[in-house]
Formats: sequence, structure tokens, C-alpha cells
Amino acid sequence: MAGSGKAHLRPTDDRVLVVEDLTVEFRISRDKIVKAVSGVSLDLVRGETLAIVGESGCGKSTLGKAVLQIPKPTSGSVNFLGKELTELKGDTLRDMRPAMQMIFQDPISSLDPRLTVSETLAEPLRVWNKGTETEIQAKIDDLLVNVNLDPSVVRDRRSYEFSGGQCQRISIARALALEPTMIICDEPVSALDVSVQAQILNLLQDMKDRYGLTLIFISHDLAVVKAVSTRVMVMYLGKVCEVADPDSVYQRTRHHYTKALVGSVPIPDPTRKPTGNLIQGEPPSPMNPPSGCRFRTRCAAASEQCAAEEPQLREVAPGHFVACHHPIEV
Amino acid sequence: MSETISTADSADTGPLAPAAKRKRPVGFYLAGSWLGSIVLLGLFGALLPLRQWDLASYDYLGALPGTPGHPLGTTQDGYDMLSGLINGARISIFVSFFAVLFGGGIGALIGITSAYFRGKYDLIVVSIFNIMLSIPNLVLSLALLSTLAYSSPDKPATLQRRLIILILSLTIVIIPILGRIARASALQWSSRDFVVASKSMGTRNFTIIRRHILPNVAPAILAIGFLAIGSVIIVEGSLSILGIGVPGGASWGSMLANGRGNIAFSPHEVYMPAICIALTVISSNWFGDYVRSRLDLREAKI
Repeated sequence: MAGSGKAHLRPTDDRVLVVEDLTVEFRISRDKIVKAVSGVSLDLVRGETLAIVGESGCGKSTLGKAVLQIPKPTSGSVNFLGKELTELKGDTLRDMRPAMQMIFQDPISSLDPRLTVSETLAEPLRVWNKGTETEIQAKIDDLLVNVNLDPSVVRDRRSYEFSGGQCQRISIARALALEPTMIICDEPVSALDVSVQAQILNLLQDMKDRYGLTLIFISHDLAVVKAVSTRVMVMYLGKVCEVADPDSVYQRTRHHYTKALVGSVPIPDPTRKPTGNLIQGEPPSPMNPPSGCRFRTRCAAASEQCAAEEPQLREVAPGHFVACHHPIEV
Repeated sequence: MSETISTADSADTGPLAPAAKRKRPVGFYLAGSWLGSIVLLGLFGALLPLRQWDLASYDYLGALPGTPGHPLGTTQDGYDMLSGLINGARISIFVSFFAVLFGGGIGALIGITSAYFRGKYDLIVVSIFNIMLSIPNLVLSLALLSTLAYSSPDKPATLQRRLIILILSLTIVIIPILGRIARASALQWSSRDFVVASKSMGTRNFTIIRRHILPNVAPAILAIGFLAIGSVIIVEGSLSILGIGVPGGASWGSMLANGRGNIAFSPHEVYMPAICIALTVISSNWFGDYVRSRLDLREAKI
């Protein structure tokens, strides 16, 4: 399963982002290299929400940050709005930054505890000289109203006075300040209570419609992904397993890893018997990943071919791509 | 989804408010008033109608405290203790304040940039800090001072030159101490998401350091800076006792060094500057501790 390939890329003209063969490696010591992301390709059509799912440590967040060039990826290409970001340096890269923003998992960590809300929101506007001081202050009020916070109440408060959900609203307002084309949401609701999760997801949807945003939505929560995404990409240990629309991923799962993920979603029905463990053991170390298919060590269907040969993404149904030698038949 | 925030409580409280409401400990007032009076005496002591500190009076050699005209007595050489101590306060505070100011400033700059940019620069900085920290403070300043202070073997260095060299070598001693604190704290703040968010907005690195890292690291540096003032006073005193600090009884340490031989005849000559040093060090420790607890930031948790 978990393999490479570009069969799922759509060569249309209205693509906002095209990532090809992106690899991110971190050198830990002289001879130890963590391969966090290996040869991932993806594309993003204007207006869609691409969800990237996978368990902790599979490289989802690293992928998101590598798209923003923080830090620069080890190899591969990131083409955003027709510009090759990996080749840009200094001010030319900086000029691209307002169009791509990020929202983080930890709402507390993403706000500077010493700055008030209005100072936090003023920062991007001042950095890019968006108008006079009066215009900036008016814009801040607009942004706060957009994310359903009362400007007169919250303006002069600091992050510790807010709940996680409110902090996340402020982060969203900050990401919207520069009117970006694309926002990468790195697990934006996983630190929040379920009731607040729904509010934030609705808010993101509203903002997406209002500002015409294109979103990358990184998550490990398949229920959340189902609610927001138009396309889902399943990752395992730095590789892509399966790409399809959410309904296909959930109802016509073709990949053994995806099946395990979908099976692990809790179903709130006390009469239902647990399905048992669909997947055994821990994910292998990204310092020394298995040969061939990276999932084979935990896969029930693994064969010798899986160890010898890395599966490539191929289309098994219209718009449904899977990287597996022995996909599940539906 | 309409959610508004209650206006009920504390619209005017900043992050410092909870600490401000706490009752200040008695130690804070004692430490603060001692440090305050030392600084005031150091700055304006020369205006007081006292004897000149370096003018010996041969009528009173080793007079006890309480002698008319010499409230704290005199040394065996006839120098007035009170004016000597006040002049010593000036020198000691001057030396330690500037050494910590320069050392802390340079150390913080190096430490913060090193933590923020990482890479080879960080590696080099950390190695140099570690090498410097592995040499005991006193030995390092002793070595720096004895090589720098004398322009030629047969020409004695002037007080002014000695003071500048003393501050310089103490600064060099302070840089790795405060630099490492600054680096450790900046390392933690640099990894926060708001720094990544700021980068992704296109904020320039030095703006991020100035706006986000420095204000958050400052309390740690300030608190340790106060502690460092105490340590520098001790190091300065030790250097004077070893005979290479400030000469001629001009600082507290130097007074101690001069009075050491007379401890059997006029013990007050030794214990008075010693008490001054001890009180100042304890006070600056207390004060630094209090500043740290006062500036400790309240942060929300999920």
C-alpha cells in the first residue's frame, strides 16, 4: 500500500497548488535520517477542501509546513499559483506568503501571550502596510465580527483570558487578515471539545464560502474529515495510501490501512459489538521504513510482492486511487 | 453559532494583575529598601557633608564605631569607615551594574539569535559558552584582569583603567551565563506556533525576534540579571582580596583586602564592608526572585 505515484493528479487549469514528489527528511545525528514525508504528490483545485488523514507521526503536519516552506522540503516541487516555491528565496518567497496561511492544532500555542487580540491581528496588516492605522483598526473589528467575537469585548484581552475555541477563532481571524487563497488547517479542532469542534468547523465552512478559500485540512479524525472535505488523502508513514472523495473512502474502502482507520471510528451504539483490532502493533520507525510497501509489516494481505516492489497509486474506480498490490474488492 | 464573551469580570486585567494582587513579602521591602539606599548613596553620597574617604586623619587610628566625627570608626590607617563604605558602594554598584548590563545585553543578543536561527551558528555559540562556563568565574576574570590591566610591568595602572578593565572582564564572564539562560528560554519560545504563524505571514526574522521572542525572554534575563549583580559583587570583592581588583580601598572588596591584616586590632574594618557585601548579595537575590515571580506569565491551558 502506502506508495508513490502521480496518477491522482488532475491536469486542469484551475489548480491552486501542485505538489510533486515532495520529500522531507530530518537529520537527527550523523547517520540517522528521519524520512517524515517521502515522495508525496498532491494537487488542489480552487475551492476544494483536501483532507489529509493518517495516524500520529505519519507526516501530515510536516507535509503542511513543507508546502509553506517552513522549513524548505528536502526535494520535490511545490507549485503554488504558478510559482515554484522551492526555488524562491528571500523577498520573492516572502511576497507569496500572504496568499497561503496556516491554522494550528494548539490554539494556546498559536497566540503570543503578551499581545492583545488587536495587536495579534494588527501584525499581518502592519507587516504588509495594509492601510492607515484607522483602516487597520476597522479591519480588525471586521475580522473579529466575522469569526463571531465581539470586538468591543475582546480587542484588549490576551490569550489566557479565552477558551480554546475562542483562541482558535482568533487564529482563524489572523489567518484571514491577509485574504489568502489557501489555508492549511493543521488539526484545527482536535484540541477542542466536541461541541466547540462543530462551531469551529461551521465557521471554517462559512469563511471558505465567503472568502472563496481553498483548504488543506489535516486531521486524524475521520468523522471530522467526512464533514468538511471534498477529497480525502490517506497517508501512512510519509506515503500516500488512498485518494478519493469522502464517500468512496468510507463506503468503498480499497486500502487495508484505510479500512483499519475507518473501522477504528467509534460508533455511538451500546448494543453494537466491538469489531476487534483490525491492525496490530506500532507503526515502524520512519528512520528505517520497511522495503516495498511501508504498510506490509502490519497488513493482513501482505505478500512477497509487497516487500519487493513499492505499489504505485492507480485508479481502481473513477476518481478513486489506491496504492496497493492487493486492493480490497468491493 | 453566535457565541459572545461575557463582559462580567476583569476587563482591565493584564497578565500581571494576579501577581499584583498578591501581598508582597516583607523580604521584598527589606531587600528593596537596602538596594534603593545603596544606589542612592552611591549616586549622591559624595554630596553628603562627610570626610573625604581617602583623606586619613592621624588623630584617629583604628577608632571604634561611635567615635565623634567618625560614626562607623576609622581604619588602622586613619581612613573614615562611613565615607569609605559610601564610596565603595558607588564603585561596587557601578562595576556590577555595568558588567551585568553589558554582559546581559550581549549575552541575550547572542543567546536569542542562536536559539532562533539554530544550525552551525548555534553549535559554535553553544560550544564557546560551554568552554567559558567550564572555567570557574573567578579564575576566568583573574586571568583576563591580570593580562589586560597592566599596560607595562613597571607602570602601575590608573584607577580609571583598572575599573574599565574590571568591567570588561566581568562582562566577558557574564556573557555565557546570561547568554545560556536567554538561549534556553528563546529555544522554547521559538518553537511555539505563533512564531511559525508569524513566519508564514511573511514577518521578517528580526521583527519576529523583536516583537515575539525578546518580550517573552526578557523576564528570565531580568531575574537572572539581578542574581548576577550579587555574584559580580562577590567576584569583584574576591579579586580585590587577591590584590588585582580595585586598588587602594576604593571598593568594598578592596576595603576588606586592606583591613584583613588589622582584623585583630580593629575588626570593624573587616566586618563592615563584609556585611555590606552580604546584604547587597542577599537583597539582589531576593529582589531577582521577586521580579521573576512577578513577571511569570499566566497562560491558559486547554
